[in-house]
Amino acid sequence: MNVSEQDELLLNAYVDGELDPMEAVRFEQRLGAEPALSAQVEARRALRNALRSDLGEDVPSPDLRRRVMAKLSRRGPGEWLSWRMAASFLIGAVLAGTMSVGLLNDRPGENVAHAVVSAHIRALMAPQPTDVVSSDHHTVKPWFNGKLAFAPTVADLSAQGLPLVGARIDVVGLEPVASLVYSHGKHFISLTEMPNARGTPASVENYFEHGYLAITWSDGGIAYWAVSDAAAGELESFVKLFQTAAAGS
Amino acid sequence: MNVDDANDQARFAEVFLPHLVDAFRLARWLAGSRADAEDIVQEASMRAFKSIRGFSGGHPRAWVLTIVRNTSYSWLAKNRPAALVLTEDLDSRARERLEQTAASEDPQTPEAALIAKTEAAEVRKAMASLPALFREVLVLREIHELDYRAIAEIAQVPIGTVMSRLARARRLLIAAMQGGAA
Repeated sequence: MNVSEQDELLLNAYVDGELDPMEAVRFEQRLGAEPALSAQVEARRALRNALRSDLGEDVPSPDLRRRVMAKLSRRGPGEWLSWRMAASFLIGAVLAGTMSVGLLNDRPGENVAHAVVSAHIRALMAPQPTDVVSSDHHTVKPWFNGKLAFAPTVADLSAQGLPLVGARIDVVGLEPVASLVYSHGKHFISLTEMPNARGTPASVENYFEHGYLAITWSDGGIAYWAVSDAAAGELESFVKLFQTAAAGS
Repeated sequence: MNVDDANDQARFAEVFLPHLVDAFRLARWLAGSRADAEDIVQEASMRAFKSIRGFSGGHPRAWVLTIVRNTSYSWLAKNRPAALVLTEDLDSRARERLEQTAASEDPQTPEAALIAKTEAAEVRKAMASLPALFREVLVLREIHELDYRAIAEIAQVPIGTVMSRLARARRLLIAAMQGGAA
């Protein structure tokens, strides 16, 4: 490298935006006149691009956050409380106080919540979020025949401004389950239905996963999961409309 | 669990967890492997939790990275003593390489073009060949995009030292990449 030590510090500081404006102007004038110097500046910019594109993508494994919190919790009793505190803070950041939610902790439904939210996200990444495209519930309902061991409820909510987009099969816990897709403005709502192993009606519960809200309830035989990134109030009214329509069908 | 503990955990979740990826990236480049980095982040999180009450509410990211940095070095000293060269002196191999590249500098091949063509695996290899103190300033500057003042705070050295380390780290890395590509 054929620049002085002083110039090397100067050009690094220049590349890093650490020179004051007057110094920077003087240095830029020199760059125009000294190709050796400008080649060094270019090399450092290329180095930055290489490092950012090649090293900047490293992310920890997805469960590191959970393991970190679990380790803290093992310090003493009250594990659920610590989880709840942590989770509520994280969610607080996501929701920015737009809604009131029950605090989270390790609940039995969490794995299912994770699976249905993942399926919803995956579906949105695909060219289309459904396996069968139809706004007609008379087309969608028979489409599930032979694909599932139960008959899912397909509610027609088009009159309420929630047209059916179609349906797909998701897999939760290695079992195929039915997912209906409704559109709500620019948002999609996935309504996933699966046999409810416990068979007892459960109260409505909310889960949050990565900025998505999942609302679950069951009518005894079937557990329902509504997932969307729509506002919580909107998803809640969808759930009420669906429940009403299902009860009347 | 008492109320103080619950408050500490809530504060920890608020201060430490948002910087988990940053913490991991620093540890990953100081430790050299992903698995070691995750161990270090876990240990750093315990340290951070214990001293969360001492956190004054300044810059959480710098605070977290300082803890991760210190934890990385003590973890390395304990678990990977051979990998921990806490000196700014180059080993003879690196010095040789530096001298060779300086001598063979080809004015027809701009360094920038050569660096741009370097494969990701080569970049990683070149990075791994640098002493930890140089990797540290490079990662804090280029990956975490911190300014000199923040880097000085985290690495606990004067700004002048940050400047000279960074200058040297870049020169070394460029030399290593040219060595690898040749």
